Amino acid sequence: MTTETMMKRHEPTAQNAETGRTYTPPVDIVESKDGWLMLVDMPGAEPKEIDIQYENGLLTMRGKTQHGQRPGRFLLHEYEPADYERSFVLGEGINADKIQAEFKDGVMMLHLPKSEALKPRRIEVKGG
Amino acid sequence: MNLVPWRQRRESKSDGGTMQLGRLRNDIDQLFDQFFRDPWASLARGFGGGPAVDVAETDDQVIVTAELPGVDSKDLEIDVAGNMLSIRGEKKQEHEEKDRNYYFSERSFGRFHRSIELPASVDADKVDAVCKNGTLTVTLAKKADAQRKKVQIKER
Repeated sequence: MTTETMMKRHEPTAQNAETGRTYTPPVDIVESKDGWLMLVDMPGAEPKEIDIQYENGLLTMRGKTQHGQRPGRFLLHEYEPADYERSFVLGEGINADKIQAEFKDGVMMLHLPKSEALKPRRIEVKGG
Repeated sequence: MNLVPWRQRRESKSDGGTMQLGRLRNDIDQLFDQFFRDPWASLARGFGGGPAVDVAETDDQVIVTAELPGVDSKDLEIDVAGNMLSIRGEKKQEHEEKDRNYYFSERSFGRFHRSIELPASVDADKVDAVCKNGTLTVTLAKKADAQRKKVQIKER
């Protein structure tokens, strides 16, 4: 099984009409021999309101920011705080029970360990 | 620069499908405005030209916010001179390069530097900067004579 089949991107859902805008955060996925590290930029997300769900092979991450009226008149307006949402399909090579998440400085780091079957293993050759 | 186009921004509202076209036009307007206001932004290396920044003003304050995910406050430098605010820093990678392969890469990294012209003179001693959850908020108090004050109209 190649790395590509391990994680397929799941296209994000449309905007949430009630709360305004939902933004698809940029993601980096890095592979090492033990697993994958997924890094998600979610500046402004409240750490306690980050929701990560894993169900039927689908990993969904949601972050909530405080949006609403901000004081003053805008002179420069390059971003609009929005809630974050992104989903990924995880293949069988990931040990879903051991996924760990850390949130620091607006970046969510998810450790996705490879399941034992996928780790490179030396196979002993029995001599004759 | 003596002659710089200045346009007041209106907050964009979410209105379903038609917003897309409005946003495109807004984005292009912003691109041009930004070039006149802050030419260094497009030349800055690092994540897409630097962090996204909002500048808002009230009667007695200027509030600058920037999205800086992954930037540690020790890698951040902010200084104020006259009516220029400078934000300089570096967004570093969280892990080491060796032993790891990028399978997917959408985020960017590197050094950034934004110089922002403030709409009023500020008191450099009354600046408050808070970096929380990847968002930087800089609150600057306007100098007393730059504050907006109501003028009484006398009836005769």
